[in-house]
Amino acid sequence: MGSSARKKKEKKKDFQKVKLKVGKTKAKPDNFTDTSFKAKSIVVNQQSLSTSAPTSSAQFEHYLSLASSSKSDTQRRDALAYLTSRLSSRPVNEPLPLPTSILLPKLAPLILDGTASVRTQLLKFLRLLPSSDIGDRAEAMLLYIRAGMTHLAVDIRTDALSVMEWMLEVAPEDVVACPGGWVKTLKCFMSMMGWALSIGTTKWTAATKASFGKAGKTFPRQLMVLAQFLRAGLVEQQALPPTASRQALFPLTDVNIHMIPTSSNAYAHLNLFGTPRDEEGEMYVDREGRQRVFNKLFQTAVEKGIENAKKEAGEPGRAGAVLAKVLKDGMGDFNGVDDTL
Amino acid sequence: MPKKRVGALEKVDADLPNLQYKIRRDPKSYSEDFLNQYGQYKSQRDIFMASPSTATSAGIVSFRDLIDFVAHVADCFPEDTAEFPEDLKNILTSYHAELESELREKIVGSLVLLRRKEIIDSANLLNTLFPILVATPSKTLRSLLFSKILSDLRTSNSKSTNHRLNRTMQTALFNLLSSDKTSQKGIWAVKITRELWKRQIWTDAKAVEIMKEASLADNEKVIGGGVRFFLGGDKEREELEDESSDEEVVDIGKLKHQHGINKKTKKKTKTLERAVEKVKKHEKKKKAPHPLNFSALHLLHDPQGFAEQLFSKHLQNTKSKLNLDQKLLVLQLVSRLIGLHKLTVISLYSYFIKYLTPRQPSVTSFLASLAQATHNLVPPDALEPLVQKIANEFVSEASASEVASAGLNAIREICVRQPLAMNDTLLQDLVMYRKSKDKGTMMAAKGLLSLYREVGADMLKKRDRGKTATMGLKSGSIKDRRFGEEEAGGIEGLELLEEWKENERKRKRVERGLPEEVGSDEEEEDEQDWDAWDVESDASSDSGGWINVESDGEIEISDSEDDKPAVKKAKTQASKSEAEAKESTNEKTELEKEEQKISKLATTKILTPADLAKLQELRLEASLSKAMGGNKVQTARQKELLARHADDALTAEQIEGFSKLRKSTKEERVALAREGKGDRSEHKSTQALRRDKKDSEGKSSTNKEKSRKKNFMMTLGKAKFKQKRSLVQTKRVLQGHVERSKRGGKRGNIGM
Repeated sequence: MGSSARKKKEKKKDFQKVKLKVGKTKAKPDNFTDTSFKAKSIVVNQQSLSTSAPTSSAQFEHYLSLASSSKSDTQRRDALAYLTSRLSSRPVNEPLPLPTSILLPKLAPLILDGTASVRTQLLKFLRLLPSSDIGDRAEAMLLYIRAGMTHLAVDIRTDALSVMEWMLEVAPEDVVACPGGWVKTLKCFMSMMGWALSIGTTKWTAATKASFGKAGKTFPRQLMVLAQFLRAGLVEQQALPPTASRQALFPLTDVNIHMIPTSSNAYAHLNLFGTPRDEEGEMYVDREGRQRVFNKLFQTAVEKGIENAKKEAGEPGRAGAVLAKVLKDGMGDFNGVDDTL
Repeated sequence: MPKKRVGALEKVDADLPNLQYKIRRDPKSYSEDFLNQYGQYKSQRDIFMASPSTATSAGIVSFRDLIDFVAHVADCFPEDTAEFPEDLKNILTSYHAELESELREKIVGSLVLLRRKEIIDSANLLNTLFPILVATPSKTLRSLLFSKILSDLRTSNSKSTNHRLNRTMQTALFNLLSSDKTSQKGIWAVKITRELWKRQIWTDAKAVEIMKEASLADNEKVIGGGVRFFLGGDKEREELEDESSDEEVVDIGKLKHQHGINKKTKKKTKTLERAVEKVKKHEKKKKAPHPLNFSALHLLHDPQGFAEQLFSKHLQNTKSKLNLDQKLLVLQLVSRLIGLHKLTVISLYSYFIKYLTPRQPSVTSFLASLAQATHNLVPPDALEPLVQKIANEFVSEASASEVASAGLNAIREICVRQPLAMNDTLLQDLVMYRKSKDKGTMMAAKGLLSLYREVGADMLKKRDRGKTATMGLKSGSIKDRRFGEEEAGGIEGLELLEEWKENERKRKRVERGLPEEVGSDEEEEDEQDWDAWDVESDASSDSGGWINVESDGEIEISDSEDDKPAVKKAKTQASKSEAEAKESTNEKTELEKEEQKISKLATTKILTPADLAKLQELRLEASLSKAMGGNKVQTARQKELLARHADDALTAEQIEGFSKLRKSTKEERVALAREGKGDRSEHKSTQALRRDKKDSEGKSSTNKEKSRKKNFMMTLGKAKFKQKRSLVQTKRVLQGHVERSKRGGKRGNIGM
């Protein structure tokens, strides 16, 4: 009988009424499920919550920032591709969505990017920029190009060379004349091709079996770019046809010399406001100055290098011959008298 | 390094650590590679210099890694990297505020690395880092620079003291402090100096001079740092030395034994060798002569001027911005200086007047400072009003018991140092408080009483003087002191030591079975082996008569001066008062005795440190037995009071005595409750604790414990058998038990 009493009690328990109390929250029902949750981070799928579609210029900026600062390499590449397509597809006379002065400093660090596809895409993009804007930013670009040329990774070095080539096509005069553009860049070439010598070298001839210099296939290419660079710096440009100025009347001869200069910061070579520069960082505006420095610092090394390259024959030999010709053109009329400076 | 970056590095085989490893092994072969990387470093530097704030460490090979790489291999190509240190220094000095923190740290680290490779010298490094330490707003950089500077100073002083470097550094610190007294930058000078002082790298007067300059600065923090150094720097140094000296001592015998038994391997042999080396080093260090480390207070140049300046600048000056705590610190330092060097800064005592009320916050510290600033050359006129004021304000029936005891303690501490600051009416009044119901007050009053029984018994009422003091007064052995009087010559308690030594010798002779007194023929022998090496001791004992002659001459002089009225020279005064008390003939022999007592031991023997320690002990004992043979607690307290050296600092706690003016904190109460209960990590019964203790000492367990722990199955047989025993067997067992208990155990407790 006892068991039945117990069962009764149990039955009763199931249908007991919950007492409500003043000042207390209502008790949760038995079948209540807690749906609250905790999360360490909240992920938002889309960042912009605006309803209207972004304008094309805003989108351009967005992709620019993605290209310059995204962590993922595919994202960078895709962003660059977008930028390239935007530039190439715009109507002929329309100005750039953003001026070059903003684009270049943001994208120049990508020369040192670790991913090959990003670098090739970058080169494509750079080729689309108007060539007249590049000259003024040659110094900033050269900083990264030089860093790329001496990079530990071979791929980055070769790609930096192609950027260099492009620069030489677009603004040869500015590349060689900007501060540090001549001596520092030449030093880079020297070390890249393994022609540089340590200051503290002993009389021992070091067997240059190091991992860096021997780039095999790229060597002729390096020679070609160097030849291009030297041509820009050492070989005299064709003088302007003098006919135009001659035609003017007597008081107006050479009037273009006396006009306000067209390039920005025309007196930069005087370095009026900056910190004093050393030999490396100096601007070598005229051809004679460049010749002098080249003769003093690099000529012997380059000549020796050319001889070695010629001996190799084949592609390097041909490239060496080209380089030798450039050297002959550039340094032929140089007389080493004014070496006293 | 994050995994992702490693992957990227592998992709382009830009492996700087690998190259670094190769270069370090064979610099010449890889010079071309190095030049390339150096070129890369240069171009990266140019990029960085073009826009220092925006340049990030993006890219696979960051500027930071390149700096690290070049710094590591710079010693292989000294000519090529000649400008590298300069570059780093320039970057750091001009852009330290805007540099990215990791790059900044790397540059600092590389500079230190270059210093370790001795490419740049210490002075160069410190000259770069120190200005940045002072100037930078970044806390992390400051702490980094601080540690680097300290470690560099330590390493460059580790083999031998680099005086030149220390001098330049000290000059730089001094200039930092003296150039701009209001700036907070001086705190770095204080910190560096204190740390180096603690580690005993700087122990000279120049360091103390820096701290002196800091104490006289205008910035509160700098002042605090300087003053705290003087108050606690030496203690810190001692503590550090103690810590370093009681490192774990290896038991070499045990190790050797283990080595003999265990399997012999090369490694184990090596560890043994190393241990032996260590022990030897330790021994050597122990035996090395102790370097003379003067405390900062003693190395101070012109303490009088310093104390005066401190007082007038920080305390007397109404414009000084120090708060009460800081002022108290300065006051403590000033009073400590005065007490230690016996300086005279009269205006200090009148300064105290204002603060001597029970309502003044932390008044006990003021009282302690006042007592500390008292010494026997302070004119009693300056002190008397202070003592009077303390008595009026603190010690009365109406005031709380803690207040009264603090006042009495303070008065006692003042009077220990200058007994003349008390007049007899006040003293007799204060002594009456020994009948107080409060223990603190009672003890303080008794302390005052016992003090004056020694130093000025005639000021006490006759019935308070006590036996020894009364007898001493009667016989004239207790004389009243005059202001400025100094104790003449001699080492206190030397005669006690002599006596003790004599007793020891006698005891030894008795042990050897010889008569207590030495025979005439034996004496020489004994003397010879007592100090066989000491030739001069014989000579001086021969010339004992010569001393007598001289002392006679001295007496004559004092006699001749006897005619003159009241000459206040300390030495002659002492002998004069004695001359008045006794007949001249008596006096002669008395003085002779005294002379002998003074001169004998100290002039004939060299006292060893053990002797000196014994001397101190005997001195304490004697003064204790003279004071009172009272109960244990009292003597212990007395002992503590006497053992305190006069040069030691006085703290507020000592003034407070038993009763505390402030409430005790919870920690203190808990500590008090826990005191004497032993270390109790987990909650266990006392039995278990006792057992643990025994186990840890390696002692055996008792039979009871053994039987308790005995395996149940082993006891089962006996228990079963017990039930089946016959009556005879039971009887035998019981009888055996009775007999055993009579005998005292199975084997009998005969008292072996």
